[in-house]
Amino acid sequence: MNDLNIAATSNTPGIKACRATGRVSLSGDSYPENSFEFFQPLIHWLENYLTQEKQPLTMELSLAYLNTSSVRVMMDLLDMLEEAFGKGIDVSLIWFYEAGNERVAELAEEFKEDCTFPYLVTPGPA
Amino acid sequence: MAAGDDSLLVRAASMLQQESAGVAELRSVLEALLGRCHDQQRLLDRVTRLSDGYQRAERERGHDHLKHYLRELRRVEKIVRISDRYQVMLQEMNGRLVSMANTDALTGLANRRFACEELESRINLVQRNNGSLCVALADIDRFKQVNDSFGHAAGDKAIKLIADTLQAGLRDYDLCARWGGEEFLILLSFSRLDDAGQLLERLRLAIESMVFGVAETTLPLSISIGVSEYRSGEASFEVLKRADEALYLAKNAGRNTVCSL
Repeated sequence: MNDLNIAATSNTPGIKACRATGRVSLSGDSYPENSFEFFQPLIHWLENYLTQEKQPLTMELSLAYLNTSSVRVMMDLLDMLEEAFGKGIDVSLIWFYEAGNERVAELAEEFKEDCTFPYLVTPGPA
Repeated sequence: MAAGDDSLLVRAASMLQQESAGVAELRSVLEALLGRCHDQQRLLDRVTRLSDGYQRAERERGHDHLKHYLRELRRVEKIVRISDRYQVMLQEMNGRLVSMANTDALTGLANRRFACEELESRINLVQRNNGSLCVALADIDRFKQVNDSFGHAAGDKAIKLIADTLQAGLRDYDLCARWGGEEFLILLSFSRLDDAGQLLERLRLAIESMVFGVAETTLPLSISIGVSEYRSGEASFEVLKRADEALYLAKNAGRNTVCSL
């Protein structure tokens, strides 16, 4: 199982996923032309990690803008984490937002609605 | 009903009509008929139970479909809700960017880019409505001395103070923009040259009477203003050129004055 390291572009976030540390990070804006295609490697990686490794996983998000299809993918990712958490896997999420940009914080909270796993929204590293 | 059942019924009917028929024989036929009847009843009960089971299963399946549908609906609603909020966020960001692109950072006045667009737009309006528009250029007198003697921070403070004073003295529909370093462009709509001259004279006086404190002392500040009225059919650069020439006259006339052309 390889690590993921996808560089950010002007319309897609950078994605890093490390098997050894169980750390997944997404940062930047997300409005790809095809969100489902773009996020497929990450979804695949998470499926493998959560079903094979069953090790703790921390997802760190520094996302400012998401288009509609990215919102949909994000909800799928959260569902995956929720399902893994329900099976006893130690998953957690930290959503960083730029201090002063409360809109992003409010949106991160809105995503949190149905999540029961540890989920923190905090002003954080740029 | 099976053929056997028919023959039992025929035999029973025939025996009931024959007085000679024996009771024991009649009883055995009736018992066989009763047994058949019980079999039918059991079969009917079984079919009813199965049918109820199928109906229950279908109902539950319907409930499951409904639950699934409601769950999906809720999910779609959430996606739309979140997405709408992202669009609002984007619009706000765009609004801030547009505002930044049109605003001078130091003074908060319109910048030169916006002022140029506004001048063209107001000229178009004057052409359509046969209205009037005066264009003025104001320049801070001996500004270089402020910068050289007290530093650029003091110079910036002077520019900001003058910008605030000019802005405060204008009408809602006038525009004051930062045109260059210490130069301001003022657009006075619905004004003929005389009216504009009076208004600009009040601005000049307001600035002359300001108290500008810097480095524990006070500095006198003043501005020179050149103003011109737009003439129908001319291009924006022509009226600007006349305003600039009028400003030159004001400077040559000893500064701290308003000249018109």
